[in-house]
Amino acid sequence: MELQAVLMAAGGGSRMMDLTYNTPKPLLPVGNRPLIWYPLNLLERVGFEEVIVITTKEVQKALSTDQRLKTDVKMRLDVVCIQEETDMGTADALRHIQQKIKTDILVVSCDLITDVALHEVVDLFRAHNATLSMLMSKVHEFTDTVPGQKGKKKAGEQRDFVGVDVTGKRLLFMANEADLEEGLVFRKSIMRKHPRMLIKTGLLDAHLYCLKRSVVDFLVHNKSVTSIRGELVPYLVRKQFSKMFGVHNKCTSKEEALLQLARERSCWNDHRGDMSEAYHGGKLRCYVHIMEEGMCYRVNTLAAYIEANRVVPKLFEDPPIHPTAVVTERSLVGSDSIIGPYCQISDKTSIKRSNVGTSSTIKEKVKITNSIIMNGVTIEEGCNIQGSVICNNAVIGRGADMKYCLVGSGQCIEPEGENAVVQCSSGYTTHTKTHTLHFCSSVVFVLNPAFCVCVCVHSLAHVCLFFV
Amino acid sequence: MAGKAGKPSRPRKADKDEEEQPLQAVLVADSFNRRFFPITKDQPRALLPLANVSMIDYTLEFLTSTGVQETFVFCCWMASKIKEHLQKSKWCRPTSPNVVHVITSDLYRSLGDVLRDVDAKTLVRSDFLLVYGDVVSNIDISQALQEHKQRRSMDKNVSVMTMIFKESPPGHKTRCEDDDIIIAMDGKSKRILHYQRAQALKRLHFPMNIFHSGSDEFEIRFDLLDCHISICSPQVAELFTDNFDYQTKNDFVRGLLVNEEILGNQIHMHVTKDGYGARVSNLLMYDTVSSDTIRRWVYPITPEANFADLEGQSCTHSRHNVYRETGVSLGHGSQMEENVLIGRNTMIGANCTISNTVIGANCVIGDNVTLDRAYIWNRVHIADDVKVKQSVICDNVEVKHGVVLNEQCVLAYNVVVGPDITLPEGTVLSMHHPDEEDDEDDDEFLSDDNDVGYRKDKTKLKVFNPAEVGSEGKGYRWKTSSLEDTEEDELAECIWGEILLNQFLYHGGKLFSNLDKVMLEYNPHIAFRTVWTWKRYIKMYLKTLVEQSLYVSSQLLKKWAPVFKNYVKRPQDQLDCLASMEEVFLERETHWAALVKVLMSMYQLEILEEEGIMHWFNQGSTTDKSQQLRRNQGLLKFIQWLQEAEESSEEDE
Repeated sequence: MELQAVLMAAGGGSRMMDLTYNTPKPLLPVGNRPLIWYPLNLLERVGFEEVIVITTKEVQKALSTDQRLKTDVKMRLDVVCIQEETDMGTADALRHIQQKIKTDILVVSCDLITDVALHEVVDLFRAHNATLSMLMSKVHEFTDTVPGQKGKKKAGEQRDFVGVDVTGKRLLFMANEADLEEGLVFRKSIMRKHPRMLIKTGLLDAHLYCLKRSVVDFLVHNKSVTSIRGELVPYLVRKQFSKMFGVHNKCTSKEEALLQLARERSCWNDHRGDMSEAYHGGKLRCYVHIMEEGMCYRVNTLAAYIEANRVVPKLFEDPPIHPTAVVTERSLVGSDSIIGPYCQISDKTSIKRSNVGTSSTIKEKVKITNSIIMNGVTIEEGCNIQGSVICNNAVIGRGADMKYCLVGSGQCIEPEGENAVVQCSSGYTTHTKTHTLHFCSSVVFVLNPAFCVCVCVHSLAHVCLFFV
Repeated sequence: MAGKAGKPSRPRKADKDEEEQPLQAVLVADSFNRRFFPITKDQPRALLPLANVSMIDYTLEFLTSTGVQETFVFCCWMASKIKEHLQKSKWCRPTSPNVVHVITSDLYRSLGDVLRDVDAKTLVRSDFLLVYGDVVSNIDISQALQEHKQRRSMDKNVSVMTMIFKESPPGHKTRCEDDDIIIAMDGKSKRILHYQRAQALKRLHFPMNIFHSGSDEFEIRFDLLDCHISICSPQVAELFTDNFDYQTKNDFVRGLLVNEEILGNQIHMHVTKDGYGARVSNLLMYDTVSSDTIRRWVYPITPEANFADLEGQSCTHSRHNVYRETGVSLGHGSQMEENVLIGRNTMIGANCTISNTVIGANCVIGDNVTLDRAYIWNRVHIADDVKVKQSVICDNVEVKHGVVLNEQCVLAYNVVVGPDITLPEGTVLSMHHPDEEDDEDDDEFLSDDNDVGYRKDKTKLKVFNPAEVGSEGKGYRWKTSSLEDTEEDELAECIWGEILLNQFLYHGGKLFSNLDKVMLEYNPHIAFRTVWTWKRYIKMYLKTLVEQSLYVSSQLLKKWAPVFKNYVKRPQDQLDCLASMEEVFLERETHWAALVKVLMSMYQLEILEEEGIMHWFNQGSTTDKSQQLRRNQGLLKFIQWLQEAEESSEEDE
């Protein structure tokens, strides 16, 4: 076994609490499959037979009960549970399972949806005998309006600066703009080794890492490192250029000595110009594969979630309408939509560019465009739903008119009489007051003031109605 | 200000008939530095032979072949020699496709002066090439020129300059650490965002604001060699006029980048991979470029091409890059191994081994001579059993029997060495005494009418030292070889600052009367510039002062007092002076003890007054370190003493 796969699925999804309030992030439906299926499928496609899944009890239960997941995923899942409350970082989690790790590892995050040729990343790892190789892709600009958010993304977002060498593979530098107030500083000796450095911003870290076994050992010895992305990776990148590093002990194994010899004897070199040995004698090397094309999403924000739902169905050759779904002939389901199993779609209903989850019921004369309907949702007659996300088991009353709304799981939007126009948003305790107000202001923006009813669903499941 | 008057109409006109304008070039046939000293005491750098052809001919050939139709050659140092050379050359023949105008003036002190003159005389009509007279290149500029024009037409003349770089990774032969530069550029538009000389820097710092240009891809490049060829728009000359403190191209580029938001000008770059372009900026580069020329990297500019069309210069090219001009005679058993160029009528004795060497015309070389990487110019006599390794031997030098020249020796014009002496690595010999003042050369502040006593002292010393040049030798030993230039840190920042500084240390206060003269003679414009650089001088002076022993420094300070007094007049000047002093000391923590002594002597010499010092001391210090400095025991005592002195003087009144 060359690589052991580790799937990190214990994250809470703190950046999209609206969705993960009731459903843990790994189980969020994307294209009618739980999110965790995508990284599992990625690993299975390239031939992994076993994967260590680090997750919470809740997800473990779902994994063992979800029939569909069981039939879809044939790999052996070695599920390791960690307590949710302990607030473990990804590096902590690795340390937690160190006994299970026998070889180099491939760490994947559960929110990664990509069609990358995984061997690209692993080949870099193999070819250069790297300590770390990782995956990045171009950041996607989300063009769609996100429910509950007026306007575009926050402008103040900090960019990540990633420095690679001229081949675009060797990772030389990584920092966030927030840490760079003083400007970028490089030692001249680094520039001498890598005289042409490309600094890229606008890259998305896919959170997929190949790590040497010795890095896990390093983590065991250095308990202060808690997160892979936040601490370990920047540390490794930095350490490439320092003379002292604690990660690698002297090559003791016979195999490594042979590799060393092979490199000394070969005329191959990783750089041009000067005549020094390959890699300038550095033993620690970090590489990155940057996807130029193809799809790569990290479903960690609402916008990414919506975008992923839109794009994902095109990639898998499932029938758009599940055979067990009941769709009457007098309804209109666009080919760009998918309907999950056991759904009921009634007459005169039109569904465009939307996903409808398992066991949802959609009554007559409903119009759904650009929306995500999760599992077990009931939508009564005459609703008009546009650009919204309806979470599990919600009930939408008759005649609701929703634009860019987010309905939390289990919420019930009461019918408001004939022609009532309902705009709803859900917010949880994490939201500040202004955030809630923000939703409301978008209501006013969208609706006819005369009939406007605003429903704000709060964490304690109390429903506020604002009559404007 | 004739140039100013004609300005408004010019750019518009240039826009209209840009297409029809013939391409012009400004060739600066002066280096404004002394890297080639003492060789350039007798011959300007542009005329030094490189593979037996003057360097300026290479530059002109490059310009002509790239399509330049009109070249303005600006000379200062030994202008008459350059003019004479050009008048004889093929460039001044009526058939020349490139019309060469020679413009001479003794007042040019820097590239900035030249370009200000270009603007004042309204010489250029549209985009022009700017090169130095020591650039050897075969780069095809046309693509860069086209890109430049395109950028200019698209962006309403925002881009004023396109610099040409050659890709050569660190460790490449054509790179010398002196000219290392680090550039940050926009990956897509090729715009230069940051430009810095990297020599003597350990860490390279890039301010954050350069990454806010809206692009998401940047490149930091340390693998570029500045060819010192730039495509400039006429605005460049105007900008030099507007910013009279710009002296060098470095000033200009950095000034433009820093003030980009204000002035709205941009600089772009063009990188060539396969062309050859290098500036012979020091002897190390001379060595490199010479050997590259012989190895045919600058094709089609090769020795046998005789592109300069000099009579009798035609030579044959044979295997292993051995070139021979007419009339060469080679003794029995002598071997020309590889990369050898031998000038006309040169006679080589028996059993010599010659490799990687250029020998000029009419030389006589004895038997059993070994030459490796030697650059021997014209009419040189080398006796038997001589060994030369990587050295430059100028015209009319005589090397006597049994001499060994180790690496990086320089024998300047007319020197005689030997017999039987071994010159250590890096020896520089010249007929000019190193302390003999370079009155007529490119330093504006020095003239020979002062310090006569000093001069007399020196003439006494003017005896050839047989230990240095051999029993029959003639010549003086100079301190270090210019090949070893790399250690002079400051040189890169401020070329003449360093030189002046050295002279200050030699001559002490000799300068001050001159400065007065400078103030009176030059127009206020230049005088202001002097003051501007003055601040830098103070700083550099103090730096040296701190590093000298205290005895010497107080001596020097006394000599210097008039100079300081001349400039430190207003209270503000005092503060400036103190601020730069503080800066200097902050960099050298170990010398803090000296601060009080320097302050004390400055106070005693009445350069600084109590008010100034107290004001400086009480000023809120911004950094921890400067606060620490202020808490220095000695300084506190000094301040206390000052206060007491003040009080007591008040009481006396």
